[in-house]
Amino acid sequence: MDTQQLSTEAVAQGIATGQFTASEVLAAYMQRIETTDAKVNAFTTPCFERAVQEAKAIDQRRTRGDTLPPLAGVPYAVKNLYDIQGTVTLAGSTVNQTNPPAQADAFLVQQMQAVGAVLVGALNMDEFAYGFTTENTHYGPSHNPHDLSRIAGGSSGGSGAAVAARQVPLSLGSDTNGSIRVPASLCGVWGLKPTFGRLSRRGTYPFVHSIDHLGPFADSLQGLGLAYDALQGVDAYDPGCHAKRVEPVSSNLHHGLHGLRIGVLDGYFHDFATAPARQVVQDAAHVLGVTQTVSWPEAAMARAAAFIITASEGGQLHLDHLRTQADAMEPLSVDRFIAGALQPAAWYVQAQRFRRIYREKVNVLFEDWDVLLAPATPVSAPTIGTEWLDLNGQQLPSRAAMGLLTQPISFAGCPVVVAPMWPNGTEGMPIGVQVIAAPWREEAAFRVAHVLSQSGAAGLKKVGF
Amino acid sequence: MTEQETLAFVLASSKALGIPLEAERAARVAAHLHRTVAMAQMLEGAHLTPADEPAEIFCPKSH
Repeated sequence: MDTQQLSTEAVAQGIATGQFTASEVLAAYMQRIETTDAKVNAFTTPCFERAVQEAKAIDQRRTRGDTLPPLAGVPYAVKNLYDIQGTVTLAGSTVNQTNPPAQADAFLVQQMQAVGAVLVGALNMDEFAYGFTTENTHYGPSHNPHDLSRIAGGSSGGSGAAVAARQVPLSLGSDTNGSIRVPASLCGVWGLKPTFGRLSRRGTYPFVHSIDHLGPFADSLQGLGLAYDALQGVDAYDPGCHAKRVEPVSSNLHHGLHGLRIGVLDGYFHDFATAPARQVVQDAAHVLGVTQTVSWPEAAMARAAAFIITASEGGQLHLDHLRTQADAMEPLSVDRFIAGALQPAAWYVQAQRFRRIYREKVNVLFEDWDVLLAPATPVSAPTIGTEWLDLNGQQLPSRAAMGLLTQPISFAGCPVVVAPMWPNGTEGMPIGVQVIAAPWREEAAFRVAHVLSQSGAAGLKKVGF
Repeated sequence: MTEQETLAFVLASSKALGIPLEAERAARVAAHLHRTVAMAQMLEGAHLTPADEPAEIFCPKSH
């Protein structure tokens, strides 16, 4: 069984129809992990024993004649900031290694288990999610499966790389400023950052309480929708979970573009994109028949506000670590955590006050539009260790600049599907397109992404190993 | 705020928060904070009125 020939829905359907068993599927994916992860370094904590038990349980249900749930037997893995019962939640750090094991699975892991998905392990990330590159000094960098010398993106780099390498059909990550969308873009896989407050974050290690989102990666747009539908659920125990009902998208994917007003973001999102990043948006617009451009309000200011809030909340959250264990923290981010902790309160309050008026401006924009397109990253994946990028006539720190085009969007809380596309001039490397909808309109983003998927313009490509 | 003033701020405020900083780290932290000064100054240009409250998460009662 070649996992590069499979997809989420093919696995689910094959198991449901008896074409193969969940145990056979799991064996194929575990073998794939064992033979490729020395190259990719996506996994930090496999949990194969648990996976074998979960797969056996699915096979027993099928043998009994039970109707199987939608993701029965589909293997998946989670960023290692998700709680897995009996496992220490590392969040990319070593200072967490002495914490007690999690007593329960994260809410979203429970949701995945409820629809029959099989958890195979935890994945690499930037320490405490403060980064866009997964160049983790403690556990090693995750490598981009399409060119092992390049970054996978971050902070959910293991989640993007594991799907791109076909080690799993699905994975879960988190996104505060772009940490799902950046690795999805750089690894060439589908990713979803839902509306802020859509999915419960309970049982995950936080980074920035007021901006943290969780979401899935997938090897197909249909798989992304199945995972998103499974993850939804009202949770009164996450103060940031504002969802009042489950709103599935999978049954609406094929509804087409009728009634959707779609535009391409210009200005900031054009200026900070290189030619290949602009090309993928043009290609998507061409497929969708889109010609109009749109200006996003206050993008640069929103990025600044997101940066300040992130640094301030992140620094405050880790104050005890910074006081007592700074030398044991990630060298690439510990100084930024300290700088964030020291920021004047007036900066933080100003940023939070700005966020409120910014939200209103974005909502006004979506009175005239349903879906907007922008590149997910300014460039394709840089080589591991890259320090600087030349963008828009400026030399910018590479690790921070990878989130230039994602930060203004998540700061408004809008849902985004990242469609993996393959421009010219990048030596075969992908760049994703952000398919952005108004808050709580995930279904619109999925409908547009489905057209991109069906046209063949967006989708995964095989890796060379 | 000049680079020297930023460094002085870092040394004073880190002491207030109880974060020990040796000289090399203090300089790196100051460099990061100095870059953020430009962002904070940009945000000062946002047209906020006294009625513009911070964005909220807190809710006094779950619903």
